[in-house]
Amino acid sequence: MKFQKTLSIFFITLAFSNLAFTSPAYARIKLVTLPDRENTMVRLDNPQATLVEEERILNLHKGINKVDFSWKAVHVDSDSIRLKIIQHPKDTRLINVSYPPNSQSLVWDIYSPEARQEKIRISYLLANIDRLVSYEAITDKEETKLDISSYMILRNFSGESLGPARFQLDYGEGFEKSINDGESKRMLFYQANQVKISKSFTFDAGKHPWEPNKQQTNVGIPIHYVLENNKNNQLGKHALWGGKMRIYQNDGHDGSIFLGEDKPAYTPINQKMKLYVGDSRDVVVTQRKTHHERKNIKRNRNNQIILHDKVETMQVTIENFKEGSDHQYH
Amino acid sequence: MRHFISTAFLIFGLGISNISHAKIDLVTLPDRDKTQLTIYNSADLTLVREQRTLTLKKGLNRLEFGWENTLIDPTSVQLRAPRHAGQVRLQEVSYPKGVKGSAIWTIESDIAGPVPVEITFFTSGINWHAFYMGTLSEDEQHLQLQGYVTIRNYSGEDYENASTRVIVGKIHLLDEIAALARRDTPYNKPDGSRGRLPMTMAVGAMKQKAYREMDMAEEKMQMNDMVAPKDIIKEGLSEYFMYSIAGTENIPNQWGKRLPSFNIKDIPIRNLYRFEAERYGNAAHRLVYFRNDKKHQLGNEPLPDGKIKVFREINDKQSLAYTGQVHSKYIPVNQEVELDFGAAREVKIEPVLMSEQTENYQFNNKGNISGFDRIQQWEIKLENNRDIPISVEVWRNFSNAYWDIDNARNNKGKFHKVDIDSVKYTVELPPQSKSTLAYTLTQYEGERQNR
Repeated sequence: MKFQKTLSIFFITLAFSNLAFTSPAYARIKLVTLPDRENTMVRLDNPQATLVEEERILNLHKGINKVDFSWKAVHVDSDSIRLKIIQHPKDTRLINVSYPPNSQSLVWDIYSPEARQEKIRISYLLANIDRLVSYEAITDKEETKLDISSYMILRNFSGESLGPARFQLDYGEGFEKSINDGESKRMLFYQANQVKISKSFTFDAGKHPWEPNKQQTNVGIPIHYVLENNKNNQLGKHALWGGKMRIYQNDGHDGSIFLGEDKPAYTPINQKMKLYVGDSRDVVVTQRKTHHERKNIKRNRNNQIILHDKVETMQVTIENFKEGSDHQYH
Repeated sequence: MRHFISTAFLIFGLGISNISHAKIDLVTLPDRDKTQLTIYNSADLTLVREQRTLTLKKGLNRLEFGWENTLIDPTSVQLRAPRHAGQVRLQEVSYPKGVKGSAIWTIESDIAGPVPVEITFFTSGINWHAFYMGTLSEDEQHLQLQGYVTIRNYSGEDYENASTRVIVGKIHLLDEIAALARRDTPYNKPDGSRGRLPMTMAVGAMKQKAYREMDMAEEKMQMNDMVAPKDIIKEGLSEYFMYSIAGTENIPNQWGKRLPSFNIKDIPIRNLYRFEAERYGNAAHRLVYFRNDKKHQLGNEPLPDGKIKVFREINDKQSLAYTGQVHSKYIPVNQEVELDFGAAREVKIEPVLMSEQTENYQFNNKGNISGFDRIQQWEIKLENNRDIPISVEVWRNFSNAYWDIDNARNNKGKFHKVDIDSVKYTVELPPQSKSTLAYTLTQYEGERQNR
């Protein structure tokens, strides 16, 4: 896919016959044809901003060349634009950068000691282009293992279509893709099967009502799956990015049901990922304070209490109404 | 499914690096072989699983998938080929600029020819709820309970011959499926409005209308269903419970369906009138209890939350009186059901403060009051104006943990300290009778709490 109109990082190379300090009115002598973009690299490793690096070959003339870079209707952060001379870094020199009024463009003055080709690399931050990660996971009936598929979603609303470009993540080789302006693409990223999970039920006395039977609606006890980003789980090669994970369960009838979804946090290697799946209404926790007493009261000279111990007795009843259980714990 | 997939599924050949592909090899999509709906009630979400047969060629195949005018969440769409696992892969889904309600799928296939595939996705607009009809016996000692499952479809799609399952449970959902279905770009824009979209008036009004029509349709459908009630297969999965309706159902857009789930006669019940000012205000509430267990002829399955319309048999079962409508919470197996019929008219409970005094004053070094005891004499007047005996529970809650209570000797019933700041009296009252509970409450204030 060729480079299209907009990021008309549009280059006009102008050369001057003499370094005319004497002649302030530069005359345009030669207009060089627009060079194609080569080796475009899109770095998606920073979730805050996307860095684009592209290489171009300029046909420079002897003397000062004016190279015009413009980004009309493209979300380029103008403060981030950098130019690097690659082929002859010692004697091809960037002399000056100027910003024409009222336009999204700049002009580089590049000095070359002779007429020759020069490879340059331009880097800039491009906004409104990023990647998301999403996951689809399916657990077995016993809820001990999870098969995870991870998807990468590229979203490009930057104003610029990117022809075959190398997308680089924070690890690995990256991949080559084209993506048009205004387009979103979902791609299968990686899969990990039979990832061990543990399931937990959490009652938080600071959050949940103590007497669920006095509530108008059922008080659910949150259920979490916990998995570890390690090699034993076919993971552990890189950090797992945060992203929406939809969790299904094998229903034992060649199909599945949807259990719930969560957006886990960024999970480094060997760290645990915790997924809030749903609420259990078959587990009921009731908490009561049955005794309260102040002990070891210390007073100051004015007979005011300055210290005391508080002794409280709690009774917590956990009822499990799940099938096959007949238990009640205190 | 009229406007969905059938017309919008076009398969075309692939010119790889050429994004402005031409539509070649246009293939009409065969009908769905099977459809399964898994409907949730804690969220507006239905998992649709379709089986279709695609004719694929080896290598890359391109397919256009459209969902315009539906309530489908495009980000949830998945494709699998269960009979050719690993040989058919949905490599890429592209949502091009300016094309609303349509995506291009790139499917990589190792095989050529017809391939049965399964397409799954979420839709909103189909829901289900449980509904119950209760009939109390004349002496109010037994209840007949009939359970129903009602399904409503206002998704914009007709679902024909769909095997239908409903899920009881509270799932954790980050985004409303209806909002995802209405996004201009399925994954939003990087800087864009990421929040939930408000429901537009048009959609809201559409739903309202659909609901009204559904109510009418439902009654008609119910008549038909009664002729040959379908089996409902019930099983637990994770923290949820699934009801699978035997056979298949036709659920046209805008239609509803009510299916009988169970009918249990003669459930023994316990009647109770409870007074708790902090919870119910100044009136006693009428409550009915039974347990979801074998002893009460229940206990085969959890009871989903839903409305219960309760009637009472009168005149030797010749006629009915309407008692009221209550909402029941989700009741797991072996848990007790509490039905709250609200303020009771024929049972009156009134706490009366007869006297109050303070004593045992304590003073600090400056001569100010630092503590005292507050002594209150209470009488709770109980009145049963019904023709049947009743049980009454009176709860009293105190403002702190420092108190003593002295109950009158001639109080009837039982006294129970529930926890640090509440007590409970339980009394049986014969028909048309009155009774009084009396107690003296001493509350310790300030320094007297450290006595």
